[in-house]
Amino acid sequence: MSLKGVFTALSGALAQTQKIDTIANNIANVNTTGFKKDQQTFNEYLTAIEKEQDVLQVPRVPASIESFYEMNGADKAFVNAAGTYTNFEQGSLKHTGGQLDVAIEGNGFFEVSTPDGVRLTRAGNFSIDANGQLVNKDGHPVLMQLPDGTDSASVSLDDRIVKFSGTKAAALNDLGEITDGTQKIGQLSVVNVANPESLHKVGNNNFSFKPNMTPQLENVKLPNLKQGFLESSNVNIIQEMTDMIMAQRIFEGTQKAISTYDSMADKLINQVGSTKG
Amino acid sequence: MIKSLNTAATGMVAQQSNIDVVANNIANVNTAGFKKGRAEFEDLIYHNLKDPGQASGLQSVSPTGVQTGLGVRTAAVQKDFSMGQVLITKNPLDLHIEGPGFFQVQTTDGEIAYTRDGAFKKDANGRLADKNGNLLVPNITVPPNASGIEINPSGQVSALIGQDSEPQAVGQIDIANFINPAGLKNVGKNLYVTTVASGPATNLTPGTDGVGYLAQGELESSNVNIVDEMINMIAAQRAYETNSKVVQTADQMLQTANNIR
Repeated sequence: MSLKGVFTALSGALAQTQKIDTIANNIANVNTTGFKKDQQTFNEYLTAIEKEQDVLQVPRVPASIESFYEMNGADKAFVNAAGTYTNFEQGSLKHTGGQLDVAIEGNGFFEVSTPDGVRLTRAGNFSIDANGQLVNKDGHPVLMQLPDGTDSASVSLDDRIVKFSGTKAAALNDLGEITDGTQKIGQLSVVNVANPESLHKVGNNNFSFKPNMTPQLENVKLPNLKQGFLESSNVNIIQEMTDMIMAQRIFEGTQKAISTYDSMADKLINQVGSTKG
Repeated sequence: MIKSLNTAATGMVAQQSNIDVVANNIANVNTAGFKKGRAEFEDLIYHNLKDPGQASGLQSVSPTGVQTGLGVRTAAVQKDFSMGQVLITKNPLDLHIEGPGFFQVQTTDGEIAYTRDGAFKKDANGRLADKNGNLLVPNITVPPNASGIEINPSGQVSALIGQDSEPQAVGQIDIANFINPAGLKNVGKNLYVTTVASGPATNLTPGTDGVGYLAQGELESSNVNIVDEMINMIAAQRAYETNSKVVQTADQMLQTANNIR
């Protein structure tokens, strides 16, 4: 018999470990504004896809190291981490009453200018910094929409930073219009990503684009915002706890498989192969 | 496995700071001029196990990457400068700023600090000072034989001196404002000091440039809403419990792994 099945069980254990890691991160972020939960997906990984059944070499070639690894189709099947999917389902809106708190209802992201480039975020807990700029919690400026009829090439990012005078009341409304006292400065930029699978998380509540994918962006001219509200995390504790129990039990199951292989090997070596009569 | 243990630990730490903020808010529910805080969280960096577009077989590429997050951290404790309720005290030296702005006091070490708590007293020399004896800036001295102190909405302080029938001006109370009041640092005793984030103070006459008028005989109560705080406390405690369950699960999984042999 062969013992290589133990590696299949091991791959199952590793997959469940990874699943628990993802669940742990979701639960840790249960109170993070604008957080979107992740889900880990797995698929069966067949070596057959990688390598066809070996053809018998006629005439036989001298034995090489490869000869010891027989590759017979689905002989070796592992579970493989296929991908991390972020669930962009709407989180519930929580009333804060904050003048500069906004939540997006439906699709879309705010644009934030970070030193690494423009990032997208769902967290609308903005504030004003010492220079009068509208910034997010990390102090990075929030961007506003391009004025009508201008194209993005002619307007630098600095011109899209929201600047308040600091002496008048700064306010936002449900359309994202920014007012300084009574004067309208502009409108918050909300972009919709038609293919959200091109987004990945970069931490600090921000999303960026995956390197090999082209994002399809569209500006939302009339965003559907709620001023005085924040979007809570869309993590569902009950779901996460259930998933965690399941992952833990499957993990235990794979451990049982490993110890079964172990005791089989034990029998093979110490009982079947025993030289004592 | 070790990853999820740490991830859950960051969750517990974050919820603990959430409870700390709530506890301080509730403790100050009756503190005049107190402004409540709110803990804000953000996710930590992500560990990329597999980049999207990486080969997953001979002729296939994975459409999405695999990444696991490493937890959460407290990004900020946002101070909420919304107005508290008005308490009518009828004490002539109790002041309330009806809008944005801060009183300025000079602390014992000579620094200027800012406060929304307008419960002023006279010290032994007749100067206006806060509860801790920090003098109001600019200094206002009320003569010993003065009666009927009046402070008008624009901050002008006047009093009847001796047997005069006409009140005389004895000083002017200015208030300070900031571009980003949430960037001020709490130093206790209802005082704030400026930081780089708050920007420098601008001195203003009450009622001008967006700052509030003064109201005499009133105090501003704390803006803490007990119901909100109780709800936040419940949510934080339950989130803490759930994170501890993750620690337990990770621990049990390690135990299972250890029990293979």
